[in-house]
Amino acid sequence: MTVASNVKQTLASLKGIEAQLSAFALNSKDSEAQQVFHEAMIEMAEIKNEIQMRVYEIQREEEQYQSS
Amino acid sequence: MTVWDIALRSVIFLIVLFAAAKLLGKKHISQLSFFEYVSGIVLGDIAGEVILGEDQYIMHGIVGIFIFTAVTYLADFLSLKSRRFREIIEGKCTVFIENGKILEDHLKKERYSVEDLAALLREKDVFNIADVEFAVLEPKGKLSVLLKKEKQPLTPKDLKIKTPNEKEPQAVIMDGQVIYEALGKTGKTLEWVNKELSKQGVSLNNVFYAQIDSYGEMTIDLYNDKTKTSSPNARPLLLAEIKKTQADLESFSLQTSNKAAKNMYAKNAEKMTSIQKRLEPFLKG
Repeated sequence: MTVASNVKQTLASLKGIEAQLSAFALNSKDSEAQQVFHEAMIEMAEIKNEIQMRVYEIQREEEQYQSS
Repeated sequence: MTVWDIALRSVIFLIVLFAAAKLLGKKHISQLSFFEYVSGIVLGDIAGEVILGEDQYIMHGIVGIFIFTAVTYLADFLSLKSRRFREIIEGKCTVFIENGKILEDHLKKERYSVEDLAALLREKDVFNIADVEFAVLEPKGKLSVLLKKEKQPLTPKDLKIKTPNEKEPQAVIMDGQVIYEALGKTGKTLEWVNKELSKQGVSLNNVFYAQIDSYGEMTIDLYNDKTKTSSPNARPLLLAEIKKTQADLESFSLQTSNKAAKNMYAKNAEKMTSIQKRLEPFLKG
């Protein structure tokens, strides 16, 4: 397993968590729960974006490594 | 007096009593006030008397029932309007224990002995009078007890545990029938229910009972008790997933030699921890 595939797996987990949080934000009936889930979802999306950027970086580095 | 006569009278008075009870409502059944208590006894007695008494006219019985019902109804209505009237009709409560001290005068006034008081307290699972801060005899004859603070049951608030508010669960399928009223309250549709059921691998007509909780998760009970169904566990699973991802981010931060990436991972791992802390009360149990 390369580093890239590990990080990609975590990225997938993050996406899954974000989706689940979004589902809970929509399905919950208590307004406080809705809000907490929603805020967590937004923060999760921020983390997801940064990890996504890192995945691009790693891929580029690996390509350079392979080509050289 | 034939059997048929008694049968006819029984049916008539059942209907009359049912109408009277419907008019007086739930409060009547709980017999909260004097009028409700008395009319509860008398109504049954009148009906019984007329049904079995040969020489009683049906009309007389109905008039009696009507008057008792009407006066009780009127008393209920007036006691809503006037506080004075309410105190006369329903009576006031009597304080038996105040600041942990038994008020002997009040006991005497209501003709309760100390044993009676002790028995009423025991009914409330209080065996030690020293545990009681305040106790009051309700007009209905029940004792209400406020325990001393340190003897009260422990609550999450005492332990400073944050507990989320939960809305009441809605039973959306009962006896295999979809309850559309409850479904409407949850804001879900029949399609949604069908989708959730197919996720668990069952079809609608196998379901005896289904309930949707505050988080939109559905618990089902099938006609076939041998079939296994999974209880909703999406929330604990999500919590586990968040914990795992947080640990992953931390280990990436240790593994990488790229300084910028290291910082980025560490920062996000920390962010994950904070999210996890905030979500925990909602995702547990």
